[in-house]
Amino acid sequence: MSTNDTTAPILSARGLHHSFRHTAALRGIDLDVHAGEVLAVMGPSGSGKSTLLHCLAGVLVPDGGSVTYRPAGRSPLETSALGEPKRARLRLTDFGFVFQFGQLLPELTAVDNVSLPLLLAGTRRAEALRRSSDLLARLGMDGMGAKLPGELSGGQAQRVAVARAMVASPAVLFADEPTGSLDSLASENVLTLMLELVRETGTTVVMITHDARTAAYADREVIVRDGGIGAGYRVSA
Amino acid sequence: MNSGLLKLAVVGSRSSYGRLAGIAGGVAVGVCLLLLLWGGANGLSARDDRGAWLRETGRPSVAAPLTTDDPSASGPATPVPLTADTALMEANPVEVFRDQLINRRDFASLGSTTVKIPGIGSPPAPGQYYASPALQRLIESTPRDELGDRFGQFAGTIDDAALPGPDSLIVVTGATEAELRQSGRASLVSDFTTNPYGGSAAAYSTVLSIGAIAVFFPVLLLISIVTGLGAAQRRERFATLRLIGASPQVVSRIAAVETAVPSLVGAVMGVVLAVALRPAAAQIPVNGIRMFAADLTIGWAAAAAVIAVVVAASALVAAHRTARAGIGPLGVTRAMHERTPTMWRSVPLLAGLASMITAVLMIRVMEVRLPWLEFPLLILGFLLIIVGIVVIGPWLTRLVSGVGLRQARSAAGVIAASRIQRAPVATFRSVSGLVIAVFVVSVFAGGSSIIESTEAPPARPGLLQPTSLYATVGTGHTPGQVAEAARQAKELPGIRSATVGYGPAVLSGPDSGPEIYLRAADAPGLGFEDIPAAQIVAVDTSFLWTAQPLALNPAPAANLGRMVPIVMVLGTDGTPEAMDRARTALNRSGITAIPATSPLDLRLQSSTRLIQGLAVLAYLGMFVAIAIAGLSLAVATASAVLDRKRVLGLMRLMGMPVSVLRRIITREAAVPLLTVLLLSVGLGFLVAWLMVTFIDDTYRVTWPAPGYFMALGLSLLLALGAVTATFSLVRGNTAMTATRFE
Repeated sequence: MSTNDTTAPILSARGLHHSFRHTAALRGIDLDVHAGEVLAVMGPSGSGKSTLLHCLAGVLVPDGGSVTYRPAGRSPLETSALGEPKRARLRLTDFGFVFQFGQLLPELTAVDNVSLPLLLAGTRRAEALRRSSDLLARLGMDGMGAKLPGELSGGQAQRVAVARAMVASPAVLFADEPTGSLDSLASENVLTLMLELVRETGTTVVMITHDARTAAYADREVIVRDGGIGAGYRVSA
Repeated sequence: MNSGLLKLAVVGSRSSYGRLAGIAGGVAVGVCLLLLLWGGANGLSARDDRGAWLRETGRPSVAAPLTTDDPSASGPATPVPLTADTALMEANPVEVFRDQLINRRDFASLGSTTVKIPGIGSPPAPGQYYASPALQRLIESTPRDELGDRFGQFAGTIDDAALPGPDSLIVVTGATEAELRQSGRASLVSDFTTNPYGGSAAAYSTVLSIGAIAVFFPVLLLISIVTGLGAAQRRERFATLRLIGASPQVVSRIAAVETAVPSLVGAVMGVVLAVALRPAAAQIPVNGIRMFAADLTIGWAAAAAVIAVVVAASALVAAHRTARAGIGPLGVTRAMHERTPTMWRSVPLLAGLASMITAVLMIRVMEVRLPWLEFPLLILGFLLIIVGIVVIGPWLTRLVSGVGLRQARSAAGVIAASRIQRAPVATFRSVSGLVIAVFVVSVFAGGSSIIESTEAPPARPGLLQPTSLYATVGTGHTPGQVAEAARQAKELPGIRSATVGYGPAVLSGPDSGPEIYLRAADAPGLGFEDIPAAQIVAVDTSFLWTAQPLALNPAPAANLGRMVPIVMVLGTDGTPEAMDRARTALNRSGITAIPATSPLDLRLQSSTRLIQGLAVLAYLGMFVAIAIAGLSLAVATASAVLDRKRVLGLMRLMGMPVSVLRRIITREAAVPLLTVLLLSVGLGFLVAWLMVTFIDDTYRVTWPAPGYFMALGLSLLLALGAVTATFSLVRGNTAMTATRFE
């Protein structure tokens, strides 16, 4: 899928600054993310990639600059100006998250883990379980909904995490090293399934990765270096 | 062990210091309470030992030789002569001031007597008295006609070595041999017993043992919970150590030392704290009197033993937990699955109940007296029930949470019920202290309730009024003397009536009759309303002590002039001053065979002493158990939050509001607590009933005092407070800035 530069971006960051005590993590980043695109954010360790993702997702409020989110059919929101309860609601209803590891509640079965965002959004449990089971089946996890995270392989657990991130049909999926803890085969498998799903639903993806092979799945990639977007970042066709 | 590795394990970050401080602080509180309670138990024993001499009853002061003609009949009693190695003693059972019982002993001896009275030495001369310091202070601060006139001239104070406690009210008076022989109740003593409990020793030790178990258990739970603080963070650090080459054995040893160090610091702090708090703890009145601070001392050897046991136990448990966790170089290598609790967990509880019921059946139904078996069965049963509640709790909790999980509709409900399903033991551990506290409080409340039922009945016509006092008249007193004593008493402030009752012979004599005769005009003064139309009326002698209202009968044929005065009853306005004035007037009149007695004195009698001891333990138990349990719940809940901070933080990042996290924490505490709470209350009262039935089957367990419901409410409030206190921890530790997800 190619980027449509004529439409307004779904996420816009302007002049983002953020520091942790005396360490500057972001130094005036400008970035647009367009609806439906898969954007890979690359860069060395400590370059500020995760901080950028957290600011875009409304997890962190930047010290300076702004983040604007433009949901379809609704007025644009400057997320960096919202209070935590509103940002939490936004993350719940409009965004999805996949991380490297440790993201599933160990006491909950796979299907219960997936259904959590729906329950938090007020969906009836029976309905939430049905939709969660369907999505798990769609990701090749048919019949494994009753298993606990400890009983799943790394790849299976990541697919459950993807299902949980996608179950509430988010507009934007934020993925922080989603395959960082997997071997190459499992990694390819998870990425393929995840991207099939997001392209079907038209979900926008912002994905952090160290791995060039993973980044190759993206429509576009940016390189973050020393808290800024690298001069030579590549925009794939 | 490599000191560098040890340093890495023990110190390193602010959270490490916080965890170490938490363990040290928790152990300090636990050890301090343990030592104070141990000291308290010792103090009770020391107190009873010092007061043992008051249980001496002596031997009869009269001999009744058998007649040669008829071996079955006894001849007239003859006094056993007083010698240099004996003293005549009368133990006054009801010397009362206000609502306090005074231990009074009257002695008569020869000038050459060799008898030594504990705390005094030689018996006082007639007309003199020795008093405990507390009683002497009371005498000096009270008008003499209400108290001091009862005893004579002050000769000195009784030494502390013969006093149960600094508040003990004891008086030893001197009298003439004739005065003491008059009542016929004096006995001869040569020395004094050192057995503090007499026939109740085993029962009293049983009650003390049960109280000690009940109070120590929550303390042990607290120590166990605090030493497990921050287990998840520790596992992460241990994984790092494994990654750089430490073997599992080295990691286990580090875990042991890492827990032992703060435990040692905490235990030493606990000992210092206990020593510092001892004078304050001694101020807590037990059975109405405080303890001497020295009574609470348990000795340095015992303190060292407590420190050694606590440190060794916490280190062993930490090493065992770490070894079981299976920590590898990349973290926990095997998931820590709890074994699913089954109904076998009900066995200890059922065994405990069976043990207690067996003891009660043996002593009350089969009437078998095997103290060596029955008392241990009772104690063992109690211990098993306490352990049984902790063991069965996870099973019941899991059953209830299973239903809850099926019915759950919200995210908080699903998460909380799922965690309880997967980790019922860990979840129940958080509330186990409080559940045990409620059980202990219920046992003691049930035990205490019988005291209420032994209180004097309310004033009713036909009963001796609670505002009255009576004294039986001794032999050899003329009607004129008795009438004069009544007249003088009636002139005292607050005395409303002075009634003399008559009979064919003094009440304690062999020719005494079944009725008391009195003038009908005096009957209203005794509280009678339906008075027969006769000059002289009669009432059964049991009127003086019965709880069943009696009726007056006309006695037209009776002639008081041919009878002797047998009892004098003084009616008062009911004020404490008037009651004590009347009591003092009767006791010093010289005409009474027994000291003045009021129906209200019944509740001060020693028949309830054992149970009163139980009640005192109850209040101490309630305070200690509830306070510790609340602390344990707060610590356990905080620990559960810290151990899951990563995953809970991630849930917040996904958009889960903090309010949902709060609801999860609340449900995780509420489900196990409420599940086992009813069981604890029911079992508490059942055990109380078994215990009091075992001790004396005339006791009845009734509704608990309002204090029980207050304690129950306090427990629930404490639980709420403990859980609420962790809310700020939830917010702080799951904040996005406090958690790294990449």
